[in-house]
Amino acid sequence: MLVTNGGQDAASRAALRLLLERLPDMSVVDGASSMEIVSGGDPPILRSAQLVEGGSMRAIRIPDLSRDGASGFGAFLDGAQSVRVVAHHFGLPILLGTVSAAIRMRVNRRLTTWGHQAPRVERKIYAPLRYIPRLVDLALDGTAPGGWKIVDTSTADINGDYPSQHPSALLERATRAVDRDREALEDQLAESWCARSESPLFVDGGISRSAKVSASACAIGVIKSHRTLYVEGDALRTVLGLERGERSSIFRVSPRSRNSVLSWYLRVRDARGHDPMWGLVRVESAESDRSSERADEVSRWIIAETSPLALPDGRWDKMSYGIRDCEEFLRAIS
Amino acid sequence: MSEAAAALGRVVATERKPNTPHEFHFWTAIDSPVGIGTIVRVDGAQPVDGQIPHIYGIVVEGFSYTDLQSPMHDVLGHDGLPTTAGYAPSERAEIRLYTAAVLRQIPEEPLQPVPMGQVFLADEADVQVALRMDSYLREGARTGIPVGVYRAGGTDAVIYLDADFLLGPEAAHLNITGVSGLATKTSAVEWLLSSLFTHFPEEKGSIAAVAFNVKGPDLCYLDQPGKVEETDKALYEKLGVEPNPFEHVEYFAPYTAKGLSLNTFRNNEALLDKVRPLTWGLREVLQFAEVLLNKDDVDAKADALIDFITQNVVDKEFTDPMLSKKHRVQSFADLEGWFRDVLQGMEKKDGESWRTHHVATIRKVRNRLSNISTRCAGLVTDSGSVSDLPFGSFADRTVYVVDVANLEEDAQDLIFARIVSKLREHLERRDLGVKHLVVFVDELNKYAPGDGTDTYVRKMLLDIAERGRYLGLVLFSAQQFRSQVHRRVVGNSGTSLFGRMDADELSTPGYAVLSPATRTKLATLEKGQLMIRHPHFTQPIFVRFPRPSVMQGREGAERYPQASDVSLDAAVLRALRPLDPTITLPWVQDLIALYTEDEIIRARNATLLARPENVKAYFSAQFRKIIPAQAAPRPLAGSIKSAPENDPYGF
Repeated sequence: MLVTNGGQDAASRAALRLLLERLPDMSVVDGASSMEIVSGGDPPILRSAQLVEGGSMRAIRIPDLSRDGASGFGAFLDGAQSVRVVAHHFGLPILLGTVSAAIRMRVNRRLTTWGHQAPRVERKIYAPLRYIPRLVDLALDGTAPGGWKIVDTSTADINGDYPSQHPSALLERATRAVDRDREALEDQLAESWCARSESPLFVDGGISRSAKVSASACAIGVIKSHRTLYVEGDALRTVLGLERGERSSIFRVSPRSRNSVLSWYLRVRDARGHDPMWGLVRVESAESDRSSERADEVSRWIIAETSPLALPDGRWDKMSYGIRDCEEFLRAIS
Repeated sequence: MSEAAAALGRVVATERKPNTPHEFHFWTAIDSPVGIGTIVRVDGAQPVDGQIPHIYGIVVEGFSYTDLQSPMHDVLGHDGLPTTAGYAPSERAEIRLYTAAVLRQIPEEPLQPVPMGQVFLADEADVQVALRMDSYLREGARTGIPVGVYRAGGTDAVIYLDADFLLGPEAAHLNITGVSGLATKTSAVEWLLSSLFTHFPEEKGSIAAVAFNVKGPDLCYLDQPGKVEETDKALYEKLGVEPNPFEHVEYFAPYTAKGLSLNTFRNNEALLDKVRPLTWGLREVLQFAEVLLNKDDVDAKADALIDFITQNVVDKEFTDPMLSKKHRVQSFADLEGWFRDVLQGMEKKDGESWRTHHVATIRKVRNRLSNISTRCAGLVTDSGSVSDLPFGSFADRTVYVVDVANLEEDAQDLIFARIVSKLREHLERRDLGVKHLVVFVDELNKYAPGDGTDTYVRKMLLDIAERGRYLGLVLFSAQQFRSQVHRRVVGNSGTSLFGRMDADELSTPGYAVLSPATRTKLATLEKGQLMIRHPHFTQPIFVRFPRPSVMQGREGAERYPQASDVSLDAAVLRALRPLDPTITLPWVQDLIALYTEDEIIRARNATLLARPENVKAYFSAQFRKIIPAQAAPRPLAGSIKSAPENDPYGF
């Protein structure tokens, strides 16, 4: 996932014109937002998971690993989002979010956009309508003039509580809403891919959000961030001590409100001299009868995808070139 | 303009690399057929003054790069082992970015920077518009001369030169540059003359060419068919020219110093019927004495004496009290006699000057002029017999080749100077026989160098280049190094052709206007490819032309080997038999047996010049009558008188 805090562009200006018609007294933000974009991620935690392969977590050397190993992935899926505070109305943030997602398919070793489902780009205004009632009627029709959709960032949560008017809280709400929109686009594309039962899809991030995708053999999720580590105790040492070409035992991840998938850690680059997370990815795959063989096969594919390097991206140690290509593509179209 | 064709690229512009009215940038797919020299069309997206702009451009530069930010990243990615690079499952994203120079914008006003839009490969109709050929290819005013075929991405478009800008009056002259040995310069001229003779509009009048063969046998077989490959046949068909040798060609060459055979590569007996001798006498040479005499020789005093001789002596009855007899000087031999008489007369008078001319000047001029017939032996005759180009009766669509390849430099200069001067005189008087005349001169590096002393030949070439187009006298010139030719000669050439170029030549300032990619293409051009600059084309264009349909020099020299020196009787036979095939060697031998070599050569030359109906009779008539020696009749033995019967002393 690509996250940017973009500058003012034509879309921003169009959104501002629409907002200024309703809120002539709002304060327009020039250039970058002065407010901190709050990450909606969870705090770093360790979480136990059900081991599927063997009796204890261990490092498994991937068999038949070679420099000229082929990859079975036929396409790559990634999403991108950019969030920008475009105005304040008496201190309350109004944001413009752009989310996008695309599948880039590999044909003759070159990556090209998947033809069956066009890349998706959506732009929305994120505003706390409860506290800015003059915008409510714009949101009522679902679509405001100019095709703009307005997302309310002040709705009640599952407990029925409304967010406070603290600008940071509203900002966090908005950012999470943008996250959800982006994830929805990614899931739609992944489901379309899986419905056609095409070759395996390399998904940037987890696959457990969608029941269809998580159950499909043709979607493999590769997670680069490890705010949640699904190991504890000795298992943590085993995972952090993985060497290049080694994977962990397979475990089952069954998060709340998501779908159960098989998962394992994989070291794709030699971490000596780097931090323990260097070159470490977590792979998610659908349940399989032959999970060990599948994990070995998919791991070989992922290691093969480390070439060419995804530099100059800062996450190049874990990122495949196909995902970098997706991000560059989304950067160009959104 | 083909609307159905698929776009092959998109115009792009950035702040760092913006488009201008004369240049734009576009990208294409990796496998697109675009290359340096490809002509493209941009269809603008927004109308200007109610009209969608169409911009035509030619690709002059290309760029390719990937998203790789540092070469080091690729090294790291493959652990420093290039052999493993091929194992990567994905190729890096790669771009083909091209820069095109604008050929034409429609509408032409207002002239704006090239807009964003889709880029299409130019089809044949687009190429005509892009190069402004539509202005001279319209029905009723068609003056296009096919010069070659532009090829790119499946488009085959004939490229035309405008006859008004090739032969005048708007512009004129053509110059070809290219390295030697790649069959470019001479081949291109041969091809272009074929095209010119085929397509030059009838209503513009007659046209002929005089080609100076200055080296090798390249131009010696223009009337002989050459090998034409299938690919070339297709080109000929596309260009509307029959792949045949020239129908009308006449060759001219001086004799060798001995005077027995013609000094040309084309002196094989099988080809002699179209070769005529080129011989001049005193009258023809004296007018161009300046060509042969250097400035040290011809000071003002000598010049005055030469003028005096030209005005008062040559071809006139000349008498002077000091001279022993009346002189009529018509040949170098006569002139030598005149000089001898003048000097003897001065010696008798013990005078130092005669008619204001000092004796030393007279001796110097005598020495220099008498020398000419020796220096240009074979071309200049002592006798004064003249065999010349048919000035006044030049024929339409005929090539006159003057073979000077085997001559000394002096003789080459003399031939060039006199023929061009005569051509110019006749064209000024409109009585050459044709309205337009192309003069082809190779090795311009030698004849019109940019530096060095100012020679008569260079002055003549400059004169043609600067004023010839008003007369219909057009210079087609060629050289290996354009940068070393006089700037006014190449600068006045409206049309320039470039074959494969030497890298050193390309690094000279004259080529700085070309992009590095265009220069690279020029340095690697294949045989049969040319880059063309023409007044209608705002940018150079690359074309392919067919191999000339005439026998190439090397092949001709093998098939018709040059005849070696022969005996006098064989030389006479070889010269006369093309005029009368019944002539045999015994007949020649019988006839010439009693005459001197000079007499025989004079008779042969006179016969060749006259080309009479009855060759045998004419040739025989050239000799003075000699009564064959007969055995003196033996005096009859006197009868012994019988003694009278009554002779007392008889016994």
